[in-house]
Amino acid sequence: MLNIDFMGNRKIMFAISAVLLAVSIGSLAVLGLEFGVEFQGGTAISVVDGGDVTTAQMTKAFEDAGIEAPNVQTTEAQGVAGFIIRTSETDPKAAAAQVAEVAAAVKLPGDAFQVTTIGPGWGANITNRALMALAISIAAILLYVSVRFEYKMSLTAVVAVVHDIAITLGIYALAGYEVTPNTIAALLTILGYSLYDTIVVFHRIKENTQHLQKQTFMQMANESINEVIVRSMNTTITSLIPVLVMLFFGGETLRDFALALSIGLFVGAYSSIGVAAPLYAIWKETEPKYAALRKKYAGA
Amino acid sequence: MDQKQQNVLLVVATVVLLIASWALFWPPAERITQGLDIQGGLSVILTAQETSDTAVTAAVMDRAELIVINRVNGLGVKEATVQRQGSSSLLIQIPGIDDPEEALAVLGETGRLEFVDVDSITDSATVAAIRANEPDVELTAGTYSPISVDGVALTGGVVRTASVSQNPQTAEIEVNVSMTSDGAKAWGAYTTQSIGKQVAIVLDGVVKSAPVVRSAITDGQTAISGGFTADEAKRLKTVLETGALPVSLVPEESRVVGPTLGQDSLRQGVLAGLIGLGLVCLYVLVFYRGLGLLTVGALVTFASFFLGVLAVMSRVGVFALTLPGIAGIVLTIGIAADSSILILERFREEIRMGKTVRSAANSGSKHGIFTSIDADLVTLVSAAALYFVAIGPVKGFALTLMIGILCDIGMMMLFKRPSLMLLAESVIPKAPALWGVPKPVEKAPSAKGSKGGVAGA
Repeated sequence: MLNIDFMGNRKIMFAISAVLLAVSIGSLAVLGLEFGVEFQGGTAISVVDGGDVTTAQMTKAFEDAGIEAPNVQTTEAQGVAGFIIRTSETDPKAAAAQVAEVAAAVKLPGDAFQVTTIGPGWGANITNRALMALAISIAAILLYVSVRFEYKMSLTAVVAVVHDIAITLGIYALAGYEVTPNTIAALLTILGYSLYDTIVVFHRIKENTQHLQKQTFMQMANESINEVIVRSMNTTITSLIPVLVMLFFGGETLRDFALALSIGLFVGAYSSIGVAAPLYAIWKETEPKYAALRKKYAGA
Repeated sequence: MDQKQQNVLLVVATVVLLIASWALFWPPAERITQGLDIQGGLSVILTAQETSDTAVTAAVMDRAELIVINRVNGLGVKEATVQRQGSSSLLIQIPGIDDPEEALAVLGETGRLEFVDVDSITDSATVAAIRANEPDVELTAGTYSPISVDGVALTGGVVRTASVSQNPQTAEIEVNVSMTSDGAKAWGAYTTQSIGKQVAIVLDGVVKSAPVVRSAITDGQTAISGGFTADEAKRLKTVLETGALPVSLVPEESRVVGPTLGQDSLRQGVLAGLIGLGLVCLYVLVFYRGLGLLTVGALVTFASFFLGVLAVMSRVGVFALTLPGIAGIVLTIGIAADSSILILERFREEIRMGKTVRSAANSGSKHGIFTSIDADLVTLVSAAALYFVAIGPVKGFALTLMIGILCDIGMMMLFKRPSLMLLAESVIPKAPALWGVPKPVEKAPSAKGSKGGVAGA
């Protein structure tokens, strides 16, 4: 059985989280997030296999098709070079015509192009729905954990989740990754997933609380973490493996999900032990019963 | 029935379900419907635009849907689907389409045809433009109305059939309209009195042509010319025959995917899933040895149930696998491995606490399942919120995630717990080291009621 003093080092973990949060919030405030066409309206054209076409040729072809300042980026999937081009065209008919023209100009087959066009009003719709889903998720989880466990657990669990989401988004802002609806879906999943770890720890703390004696709440909580740490590590590793494989082998759409999921899973595993459990233990020790235990056994 | 018999029964049921699942989903390429992003094709969401004249009611949407279905059929494509999305949108999916531009034009065209007496247009600048034969003159709403005789308005409503032909004299491509008997009567009455007048043929507010009435037309046949290309004329024919949309439909989200592209993505996704599954199996085998084998069995059972369910849902037409859906599946591999590990860890821990292998299998798997279900339900809540609230392709992700979680719970109850308990009956105690089972702590003095086996803090 492992015996690591997590709780004793909680200040270090809080400090790490504080720094990560500060950097994340800072990057979100200063750099902001780059949102995909789904949120703003416009057209995204992706070409997985760009053949020998250069960025300059691609840009020129789009300009010749009547698009001012197309945003041409190169991509690479499994060693094949491709492009993602974003334009502000919101009429799919016009976009299809432009793409047909470009395809002819750069001598690529028409079906090598994947074209997504989003109308101007649709983006706001998608954003609202995403935010609504987020709010409903958080509310439902708060309710579930409050009913199943207790509200102190649910609130600290949500703090941990918000911590995870903030850091994941911070990394997106810092690295300039594009936020798509898939990213939001992945974030929502992390919300549930990060709770997975937290709940495992809380489950054990709750069980051990029933026969808590001759020990402070904090010590018991620390033992509880140690009891489940191997399991938590293993579940995190087995969850991360498929997601990481998806990140490296999955192609563009899957990578969208995998990136947010990998970061979120990692941060989520950490926050269950580094944020949720210590916050909960600190809060519980303010209860008279556990405060008394603390007086008696602290430093034992 | 005692516990053992019950467990044997559950394992037998699992085997039966496994065989059934394989029979259902094999070969997966045929049995599991592929979504449009994998098959390749056009997927477009058209949203009805509410105006002051027309409210978007359910009846209006029913009519619009019917018209759109007819137009899609007019394109001559196979297996296209039209679905209502929310209260005012239609999702149209056309697999394997060659010319998305053409399809978009046909689907989105309102197709409001009107015959307008040019003299009756109240905007003089427009009238002048029409008289000067300018192409595609746009009319302002409210400045004109279609010719109406005895209460029959000459609009798209009087069109019975339409056909495309080339005028032998002018070589121009024309759309010939054949009118209903009411329409023919009204058109006949109007043309008889209006020889020499100019009639504007207006499509969606744009003047397509403005011929002068030379003689009375009583047979209800009229040609519409307007510098059409063959494709445009064909499109107009479809639009006129299917009737005008009661509201204008605006494309909100359109995705065009080439067929080879989708298959490549599918291959990558399946590869990622298989490698992920393989590595997870390898990891649990190394870490848990014999018990890892049980986890591998659990994962295979889970994956088979999952694919079986997807095949059944495909067959009844409520499921199509999309790329976001694949992401959901890959994620659930991790979730299934997690619940399996939760049970194993709990089992090992209870042995460490001094329980016999047999009773540890019973209570360990029970507690492990409770914890997993708690965790599963939380993920399920997020997935459900996403599924019911969000729009667009992420729905596919939420759907597979939900199905996967339910399959995971089923797998634990049907396979994991009974098979662990059966193995614990005789096989595991014979070779604990091989199965990765720890030695129990020798008679912890007060094992009951304390957290036995934990070193003092």
